[in-house]
Amino acid sequence: MSSSPDRPHDGPELAAAESLRLIREQQERARSGLEPDGRLLCLLWGVAWLVGYLVLWSGARGSEGIPSAPAFVVFGVLLATAVVVTIVHSVRRTAGTRGASRLAGALWGSAWFVAFVAYPFIIGGLGRAGASDEVIGLVANALACMIVGIMYLTGAACFADVSLYVLGVWIVLTGAVATVVGMPTTYLVMAFLGGGGFLVITLVWQVVETRRRRRARAGHVAAGAVEQDRTDG
Amino acid sequence: MAELDAVIHAPARLRVVATLATLGADDEITFPRLQQLLDMTAGNLSTHLRKLEDAGYVRQSKTHAGRKPVTYLALTPQGRRAFEDYTQALTGLLKGAGA
Repeated sequence: MSSSPDRPHDGPELAAAESLRLIREQQERARSGLEPDGRLLCLLWGVAWLVGYLVLWSGARGSEGIPSAPAFVVFGVLLATAVVVTIVHSVRRTAGTRGASRLAGALWGSAWFVAFVAYPFIIGGLGRAGASDEVIGLVANALACMIVGIMYLTGAACFADVSLYVLGVWIVLTGAVATVVGMPTTYLVMAFLGGGGFLVITLVWQVVETRRRRRARAGHVAAGAVEQDRTDG
Repeated sequence: MAELDAVIHAPARLRVVATLATLGADDEITFPRLQQLLDMTAGNLSTHLRKLEDAGYVRQSKTHAGRKPVTYLALTPQGRRAFEDYTQALTGLLKGAGA
């Protein structure tokens, strides 16, 4: 093992700390370059739901509890924007990789697509079968929450991500509350419990990430201090 | 001083291996994407990849996307083990320093 010369040396330990720092920094860079940023996507969807459903709620107050057409247009544009940004961001981040993780991500991503392709047909079918505007409005919100919530639950299982599971449970429960409260309060529930839920998770992820980075840096400084003691002493 | 793997111990190759180690065991990455994550020139990266391949730590698979040739890279199980041993040796050195 190490020879112990009389003269203190800054050899292997300093090199070890430096190499570990290099590994940590590079792996952090690789991960943030290859994985979609959950914080960004959650923030995006939180804002889209919060603003979108608030617009529907305010559009519904005057007219027998059913949102006005312009309110639906604003809502549609917000959600469409969120969809496009999500797809572009995710495809860019995962581009140039292949294998089991990529396949899992692609299958999960396409499941969203399949579910929301079927969605308008279900809502439209209920309308043709004679469902009232009130029933359609409630089912539209409930079904959206069930799809989104259960997709997060499957994503949590797929990627072993507990915080995604919590988000899934929250959105499923939001769907239940949004249906029980009835029109037009359902839109307020979607905005504050649903959109708010996304924003809370964004905040939690941000705090966790900041703490993790600070701890990693502190760990490195501590390791550096140990070396300093050795070389000084 | 504990024996450190000389193939991995060079900073540039250490960064290459560390990056590939973030991928799942069955996952691969294209050459340009790896180059982008490392911010290295193509020539530089090729040289280091060749050394890692010679040591049996990295495998390349060539395929085509349309008519364009694409090279995918990944750590071999041996390379992954070597990286784990290496980081363990480093941590050991630091612990030794603290004791």
